[in-house]
Amino acid sequence: MDALFQIFIIVFFAKVFGEIAERIGFPSILGEISAGVILVIFMIQFDNEIISFFAELGAIFLLFTAGYKEVHLGELKAASKKAMIPTIFQIFVAFCFGFLIGWVFNMGFLQSMFMAVAFSPTSIGVVVKTLIDFDYLSSKPGSMMLTSAIFDDIIGVFLLSIVVTMATFHQLPSGFHMLVIAFRILFFLVIMALMGWKVFPVLFTYIQKMHVKESIFAFVVIIALFSASLAEAFGLHAVIGAFIGGVFLSSVPLAKINDVQSKVSGLAYGIFVPIFFAYIGLSVELSVVHTTGIFAPLVVVMALLGKLVGGIAGTKCIGFDFLESLIFGIGMMPRAGVELVVISIGRNMGIIGDEVFSAIVMMVVVSIIATPVMLKYAIKAREGRMGAEATKNAS
Amino acid sequence: MLIIPERAEDVGHKVMSEKDKVKEAHLPKTGSECDEGSLKITDNCSGVSINDIMTTDIVIVVEEDSIEDVFELFKKYNFHIYPVVNSEGALTGLIDQDIILEMLLFDRIPRDKHTHLTAVRSLSENAKGIMTHHPVTIVPETTLYDAADLMMKHHINRVYVVDKEKLVGVVSKRDIINEVYRRRGLN
Repeated sequence: MDALFQIFIIVFFAKVFGEIAERIGFPSILGEISAGVILVIFMIQFDNEIISFFAELGAIFLLFTAGYKEVHLGELKAASKKAMIPTIFQIFVAFCFGFLIGWVFNMGFLQSMFMAVAFSPTSIGVVVKTLIDFDYLSSKPGSMMLTSAIFDDIIGVFLLSIVVTMATFHQLPSGFHMLVIAFRILFFLVIMALMGWKVFPVLFTYIQKMHVKESIFAFVVIIALFSASLAEAFGLHAVIGAFIGGVFLSSVPLAKINDVQSKVSGLAYGIFVPIFFAYIGLSVELSVVHTTGIFAPLVVVMALLGKLVGGIAGTKCIGFDFLESLIFGIGMMPRAGVELVVISIGRNMGIIGDEVFSAIVMMVVVSIIATPVMLKYAIKAREGRMGAEATKNAS
Repeated sequence: MLIIPERAEDVGHKVMSEKDKVKEAHLPKTGSECDEGSLKITDNCSGVSINDIMTTDIVIVVEEDSIEDVFELFKKYNFHIYPVVNSEGALTGLIDQDIILEMLLFDRIPRDKHTHLTAVRSLSENAKGIMTHHPVTIVPETTLYDAADLMMKHHINRVYVVDKEKLVGVVSKRDIINEVYRRRGLN
């Protein structure tokens, strides 16, 4: 099939199914993944090289925009005091559950690590609508969810960088290798921090005076690609570099002009990111899911349970009552972003197989559908109990 | 704390200051600096710096101002955007109508804005929590042409002027248009 036609079909289906998902009350990512799965069901053959190239750009821009638009370093400091314990608990327990599944099913160390990292992130955006509908954003568990979610991308990318670096060694690195890895990461961070602090601000004062069209937008994209390439030169994965590049570019005023942000977002979420999510759907092997017995359902249950148990335990430690902890735990369950990048990289590196890949995509889909429903019931249960207590006190 | 001018018009943040009045008195009224029939204005304004045309009386918001204070400000004046300063007078952010609209109609914002940052903003209790960070700024010595280029190329309606990080003024497209008019004798 012609390359242009393939891209047209994927973007078109991803957007149409994304819109259908939005219309029935789910995030567009659900429709975009479904578009890929449906194209497979209808036996439409794609040239994997072309689509995977665009999908990689999608993963790069997904994490670049996360750093460029969403991470605000000043907030991390304030949030760290408030939400450290629940955040560590929910991520740690989910991580352990992921590793446990790998261990139970006799997977290798690296494959289990990829499972563990894929279990760890949370996508709070999935439950924000439910929290708004129930006027629960400002509630104790609601505000704790939001604060905890501030760390999400940072921790997700940190874990990803560790597991990908391990995978490049195809084993648990030795002490010397660990030092080399740590030095590389540190050196890369120092270079990017220096650029963000001294180079980018000056560079953009010249860029904005350039005569070529869309100079600022072009250089924001160039910096995304440069950071991704530089990270690869340091032995890190491109998406990690893109995220860090985005974070350090986010404090450069000229790079954050509304007009430019809108164009970057258009390129990312209009084209590349939907291709990435559709590619995830295209890569799902439905036949494998059927043949793996209880593995896929167990991955779904353990991934959701890991966040739930960790969330409940963490918030109980800081004095939440059970229903508040339950609401927080459920709110931490959805996944819709970094974990798909994790499994995509793991699959491309040959670390995880089709069964793990497909099971985790299934987990993402189930978490997006189930979490808002479960959250509604938990909130209603708490409201009911508070109402009953109020009546009891009044009488 | 809010510093509010005696009179504000809905033309950027323009409030006629004493400095402006003196400046206006010294400007040619009929375009003596230029050939009235000529459309070329490049020579007329080449020596003009932002320091000469910026508005220095600005309605500002302080980081610690409550959300209610900010809402009140948007109700009282018709400006589209307000600069936020810290206790030392340094410009730290901006609050515009989009932010206020998102806060007032939070349950109507599109799903693509259902991010934790938007949600955290909706829960903030002061101006610091809702402002956008890292505004584009220029220094007072910037020429009128450079400021105009910046606005035209990147669709920016107004730029804040800072001197050693401290907010000293604002210049809008309207200020530049007015200055060019005056220089061409069109006032």
